Amino acid sequence: MAPPRASMAHRGDDDEVCPVCKSSRYLNPDMEFLINPECYHKMCESCVDRIFSSGPANCPVAGCHKTLRKNRFRKQTFEDINVEREVDIRRRVMQILNRREEEFDSKRAYDDFLEQREEIIANLVYGTDVAKTEANLQQYASSNVRSIRANQALEEKEASSFQEQQTQEQELARIRRQAAKMEYENERRELIAGREDVLARLASGRPADAAAIARQGQKVLLKKSSARRSEEERIRQKQAALRNSDAKMSGQPAARAAGQDDGGFIKGLKRIKTPEPEKPYDPFGGLVPGKRDYFTQSEYYPSSYLEPIRQNAQMQAGGFDLREYYSRTLLEAFAGLGCFIDEEVAERDSAAPLGVGQPVPTTGQS
Amino acid sequence: MFEDDFYRSSSQYRHWSFTETSLQKLRATTNAQASERVRAALRRAREARQSANSSAAGTPTPTQAGSDADSKAGGADEKEIECLTPEEELQLVKYYCEQVILVGESYKPPLPTVVRATAIQYLRRFYLTNSPMTYHPKNIMPCAVFLATKTDNCYISLRHFAEGVPGDTTAEDIIAPEFVLMQSLRFNFDVRHPFRSLEGGIMELQSIAQGTGQPAPHVPHQTPDTLRRDLLAVPPTPGSSSSSITDRLGRAHTTTRDLLKTAAQMADAYFLYTPSQIWLSAFSLADRPLAEFYLDTKLGPQTDDNNNPLTELRSKIYRTLTNCASLLQSYKSLAEDPSQKATARRISKKLYHCQNPEKANNITSAGQKRIPAAAAAAAAAAAGAGGGDGATSESDMERMAKKRKLEREQKEKEGRDLFGGELVAQRTKD
Repeated sequence: MAPPRASMAHRGDDDEVCPVCKSSRYLNPDMEFLINPECYHKMCESCVDRIFSSGPANCPVAGCHKTLRKNRFRKQTFEDINVEREVDIRRRVMQILNRREEEFDSKRAYDDFLEQREEIIANLVYGTDVAKTEANLQQYASSNVRSIRANQALEEKEASSFQEQQTQEQELARIRRQAAKMEYENERRELIAGREDVLARLASGRPADAAAIARQGQKVLLKKSSARRSEEERIRQKQAALRNSDAKMSGQPAARAAGQDDGGFIKGLKRIKTPEPEKPYDPFGGLVPGKRDYFTQSEYYPSSYLEPIRQNAQMQAGGFDLREYYSRTLLEAFAGLGCFIDEEVAERDSAAPLGVGQPVPTTGQS
Repeated sequence: MFEDDFYRSSSQYRHWSFTETSLQKLRATTNAQASERVRAALRRAREARQSANSSAAGTPTPTQAGSDADSKAGGADEKEIECLTPEEELQLVKYYCEQVILVGESYKPPLPTVVRATAIQYLRRFYLTNSPMTYHPKNIMPCAVFLATKTDNCYISLRHFAEGVPGDTTAEDIIAPEFVLMQSLRFNFDVRHPFRSLEGGIMELQSIAQGTGQPAPHVPHQTPDTLRRDLLAVPPTPGSSSSSITDRLGRAHTTTRDLLKTAAQMADAYFLYTPSQIWLSAFSLADRPLAEFYLDTKLGPQTDDNNNPLTELRSKIYRTLTNCASLLQSYKSLAEDPSQKATARRISKKLYHCQNPEKANNITSAGQKRIPAAAAAAAAAAAGAGGGDGATSESDMERMAKKRKLEREQKEKEGRDLFGGELVAQRTKD
């Protein structure tokens, strides 16, 4: 009776012993070891259930005082616990420092960034300057929440589109294979049919025609196969073209969210110009409606001429407003008081020597 | 200043404002071009007549007297024709501008002042780019008045209008040069007059007199009471009896209005100054202390503070107003100066000899195709009849008209031969 494959995979060592409960795999072949990324101490599943089911507790390994939670326990992926830890750290740092190449001014800047990232990872893995590095990382993460999230979304999208493409390609390949198979079948069938046909004709025909019939049959077969081949070629070209256009479409860089200032933690980022916020629309083009420079209009002006209109209910009922008259007459009283034509027109004329603004003597011929 | 920008957007400022020199230059150019054309036209006419004479020499005609006169006129033509000078043209136009006012009186009710003023400005604008030698003001003037009644919202029917025009001008004569006129006005029908401005100013002064005046935006320390006190403290004009401020305002109002009606129209004020400047300088002619007080309420009292932008503006405005006032003062009406009428008559006689013969009677046929041929003929007859002592050029003109008619018929025939003639020409005939 063969043991289950999964337990086989984990049976690296038959004498493996849980450091907490000291039970050995030898006695319990289904024993699973779990680790927590807080301290990476290994313990068996039953120990995790026992100790952490009732909430967070201290790591039971002697000398380790980390508080662990049950939900963080997981299976070990790599046998070497150091590798496991490095992969975890790497994943976390990469999630935060997820700048993309197109966000940098130059290739050099991007390379510097990659190196910086590697350095941070190494620091965390080997425990040099951990506190400072962590602090930097946290600060960067908190000040760049938006761009980090945008880049994550982009990555996800890319991953999913990559997957989609993969499945699509597989599907296409399957269809191609099927088509090729069918084609082969057809060809074979036709070949056999052609041969039979030739044989039948040879059997029924006269001996003198034998050579001619055989030649003709050969020719028909050849023609058919060449027609098929050109058809194949055509389909192949079409598919190639399709593939090319697909590649081009996916090759376009995705739109990127505006980057934020990361406090100089990462050098060489492209300056992203945020467009000037649009000013509120001014329908008067800077003109203040109702603004006058020479007079202040009042509600009422005494005038023996206007008084009857003011009193006339018939006129008022029609919507006539004397204030319109006031504002118009007063505006015209001063419209152009400060226009000095002798200066301004001379200036205008000299600015337009061709006399654009001038009436030209008519020819009188019209 | 907002009000100034408001005026700068008007067509009067953009197209019809000139400096004194540019105005003179424009008039001189117009005159020179027109004289040249008149000379060329008369030369052509003479040559045509000579060839006609030589061909008609064999056959005795009843128009012997006419050809006699022709040859006499031909002799006169031998020396260079004396054309009008720009000054003479200007005086002639001015005379017809005065006539506009008289025409306006002949209606019942009389045409509003604004209509007459607009008509006068149309005439003046028209003769900036056209010479009386090309288009006789006698023909253009009624048309300008009629156009003004339409643009100034005082429309009267053409027939009714024609009845009021002195002489035997028909409705067709009046309407004939309308398109030429409008074209020369560059279709700018808007004329900014100082009349409404005057009403506004007087209105505000009256409110100041009643103690309800509002301070000007740039002189915020004024109050209605200080304004009123200052107005009452304005020194009286020399030589006038002291009276109430309302009477004084009324008097100034009337005088200014009269000035605006006449002097401002006849001088070049509209071309050289803005309506606001015109009415204020007329007002200062009527009552100088009052006008100065009013300006001071707007621009602040005289100061020596050079940093104040109002100071510079103020001195410039005063300079401009003085110039404008002296221009208005230089005007003399026909009644005051009877010699003007004699001058006008002399120029008119001179114009009779240097009128462009090709233009005299064909405003309709050349300028537009909307008047039937009969009307054109009537216009020609009227033009001929109007020319007092001229059997010579009457026959001249008839001949010209005949020649032109022949040409036109020939053209029409050609047109019909090829493609059945022009549509427009056919409609005119119908």
